[in-house]
Amino acid sequence: MTVRRIALLAVAVPLLAACGGGTHDATKHLLIVVNAPFSSTPYLGRAIENGTRLAAAQVNTIGVRVGNDHYLLTVRTMDTGLSPARAVANVRRAVSDGAIAIVDEGTGVDASWRVAERRGVPICIVFAGGRSLVDAATRPNVFRIAPTDHGVAFRLAEYLIPKHVKVALLHDDSDYGTAGAKELKRAFDGDRASVAIDETLPADALDLSPQILRARRAHATALLVWGRPATIASAITAARSAGWNVPLYTPPTGADPFVRQQLADHPSWVDGLTFAAGRLTAEVGAGPFTGFTQRYAAAYGVDRVGVHTSAGAAVTEPPETPMYAYDFVNLLAAALTKAGSTDPAKITKALEEVTVEGANGDERAFNHSSHEGVVDDDVYFARFHDMTYTPVKDDPLSATLPAISQTQ
Amino acid sequence: MTRLVAAAVAALACTGTAHAAQRIALPSPIAPLSAQPPLAGGAHRSAENVAHSVSASTNVAVAIDRSGTPFSVTATQRLDVRGVGDYFFTIGAPVLAVRATADSASSPGMRTGSILWAGFNPGERLLVARATLEPAQAVPALPLRVLVSGHTVTLENTTTVTVETFTADAPRPPLIAYLSLLRGEVEHGRTPLQTSVPLASTPANVRMTVTAPLHVTGTIGARHVDLVLARRTEVRGSGRIDLRAEPIEHVDAVTPADGRALLREAIRATLVLARANQYEEFLGNPDPAGSSRTVYAYRTASPPHAAPVAAVGRERRTWVETALFVAALAAVLAAGAALWARS
Repeated sequence: MTVRRIALLAVAVPLLAACGGGTHDATKHLLIVVNAPFSSTPYLGRAIENGTRLAAAQVNTIGVRVGNDHYLLTVRTMDTGLSPARAVANVRRAVSDGAIAIVDEGTGVDASWRVAERRGVPICIVFAGGRSLVDAATRPNVFRIAPTDHGVAFRLAEYLIPKHVKVALLHDDSDYGTAGAKELKRAFDGDRASVAIDETLPADALDLSPQILRARRAHATALLVWGRPATIASAITAARSAGWNVPLYTPPTGADPFVRQQLADHPSWVDGLTFAAGRLTAEVGAGPFTGFTQRYAAAYGVDRVGVHTSAGAAVTEPPETPMYAYDFVNLLAAALTKAGSTDPAKITKALEEVTVEGANGDERAFNHSSHEGVVDDDVYFARFHDMTYTPVKDDPLSATLPAISQTQ
Repeated sequence: MTRLVAAAVAALACTGTAHAAQRIALPSPIAPLSAQPPLAGGAHRSAENVAHSVSASTNVAVAIDRSGTPFSVTATQRLDVRGVGDYFFTIGAPVLAVRATADSASSPGMRTGSILWAGFNPGERLLVARATLEPAQAVPALPLRVLVSGHTVTLENTTTVTVETFTADAPRPPLIAYLSLLRGEVEHGRTPLQTSVPLASTPANVRMTVTAPLHVTGTIGARHVDLVLARRTEVRGSGRIDLRAEPIEHVDAVTPADGRALLREAIRATLVLARANQYEEFLGNPDPAGSSRTVYAYRTASPPHAAPVAAVGRERRTWVETALFVAALAAVLAAGAALWARS
C-alpha cells in the first residue's frame, strides 16, 4: 500500500512543482552554437569560435538578467566540414538542444535557416558574403556581420573604374568565386568598357598560366581575381613568373594567410596586391580594435601568418573574423535584455532593435529592413608591402583609416 | 522652455527695484513650443568624431478622403550630407515602411519608431528616404486641417499654441535693433539668434497664443488657391483638392510703438518663428545647426477599401464534447480516490 502511495506522490509532486511559479535566482545557462568548418579550414573555424567565446566570457562576468533569472552563456562547437548537409544536421541538433542562437560560417544556410526558423532561432553568418543568404523579409532569422559580396564588388568597381584601367575579371568556379562573379558583373555593368575579359578559373588548378596569358592578350591593365586563397596565390604566381607586373585586386580572401604562405619564397610578388575588406577601425581611431586585439591575444594567443617581414619580424593576422563573431554575441546579449525573454523568436525580433559598440569602435546594429551588420560603405582597400598591409590613400574611406600593427 | 521663462521671470521678480539694471532673455526663435513636430523625438546623430553638415528637405504627402480626413501620410526626406567621415543618424518617426528613392546614395534602415542611416560619407552624400507613417500618430502633427462640407472647404491652421511668457516695460532701442536684426536674418535664410534685452519694470507672467502662418497654394476643384492662412478660412469650391502648405518664416517691420508694446512684438516674433521652425522640421534634422524645410501636400484620394475579414474558424468544443470531457475527468478523479482509500 505504501508503495502505491509513494508512486502516486512520485507522479503528483513533479506535477505540482510544474504548476508552481514564483521567483528564484539560480544561474541558468543559455546555449550558443558555433557552426563552422573546423576540420576543413581550421583557422576559420577557430577564429569564429574564439571570437564567440571571448564575447561570451565577457558577458558572463556579470551575466544576463532576464526577469528574475540570471543567465550565463555557454558555447558549443559543431563542425560542418564545409558540407551543407552536415551544416544543416548541426543546426537541427542545435535547435533540439535548445540553442538560443547559432554563429555560422555560412555553409548550408540556404537550407538550415528554415530548420532554425521553426523555433525562431537566430543564425548570424560571420564569413560568407553571398547576397541571397540574408534577406530580412524572407529569412527573418538570418543575420550577417561580414562584408557582403555585393558591397565588396560594388566598392571594387567604384575604386577601379575611375582609374581608367582595363580590368580582367577572373573568378574561380568555387561557390565563393561563382557568387563573386555575379556581383562583379552587376557592379561593372554600368561601365563594361573598363572590362577587358571575363574569365572563369578552375579552383583546383595549380597552374593558371593559360588563363593569365589570355588576360594579357586581351590587353588587361589590371587583374581582379575573385576566388579562394589558393586561386589568388596561383594567379599571382602565373602573372609574376611570366614577368607581368600587372596590378592585382582581390576580395577579402586576398588577405588570407594562405596566400602569403604560398608566396613566402617570393615576397616581392605579394607587394602591391590590393584587397577589399571590412574596415577594422572606426572614426575614433585604432584604439578600440587594438584593445580588442590585445584581449583576444591574451585569451587565445596571436594568430601568426607563418611569414616574416624583410626585417625578420613575424607577421601576425589581425582578428577580423573573430571581431564579427564577438560583435554578434554582444548584440545577442543586448537583445536578450531588450526582449526580456529567452524565447529565441523574441530574441530574433529584439536583434532588430539594439545597437552596440563594436570591437572596432563603430556602431554595430541590425534593423527591420536590413540584417546586415557591415554596410557596403564599410568596405575599404588595403595594399600589401613587405608581407603586411596598410589602407590605401587613394580612396576616401581608406585614406581616413590608420594602419594596424601586424608584426610581433 | 515655458519653465525656463517662468524661472527667469521669478528670478527677476526677486530683484525688486533693481529691475532697471536687469536683462532678460527673449524666447528662442528656434526652440520647439510643443512636443511635436518633429515626430517621435526628432532626429539624432550618434557620437562620432565628425560633425556632418546636413540640410534637410521633406515633402509630406497627406492623402485625404472626400470629407478632408487624412487617411495616409507619406514623408520623403532628403538629407544633403556634407563632410568626410562616418555617419549614424536616427530619424524619429512612427514609420510603417521605408525605402530609398532611386537617387539616394544609400538605403535606410528601419526600427520601431525610427529611420536609420549608417555609412561613410566620402564628402557629399544625398540620402533620401520615403517613409510611410502611422496616420494616427502623424496626423496630429500636421499644420493644416481640411474640412469639406458641401461646396465649402474650410482650411484650418492647426499650429496654434499657447505658451507662458512675460511682459514688462523696456527701453526701445535694443528691441528695435533686435527686431531689425531678426528680420534681416530671416530674410537671408539664416538661423536667427536668441538675445537678451534690458527691462525698465518688473516682468509679469502672461500667456501668449501664437500661430505659424502658412502659405497655402493649389487648387480646390477648378478654383485656384493662393493665400496666407493665419487661423481659419473658408473657400467656396468643390471637387478634387490639391493643396500645398508651407510654414512662413517672416518678421514684420518694426512699428512705432512704446517699449512695452515693442517687447511684446519681439516676444511674439520669436515665438512665431519658433513655431514655424518647428513645422519646417517635421522629421527633424540630425544636424542641429542644419537648415530644414518641409512642404505639406494635401490631395484627395480614395481610401483603400479594407478587405472583408473572413470568418476565422476556431477550434471550439461543442457542449457534447465538453460534457464528455467533464465526465471523463470526474471518472479519473473518482478512480484515483478509490485507489488512495484502498491503499
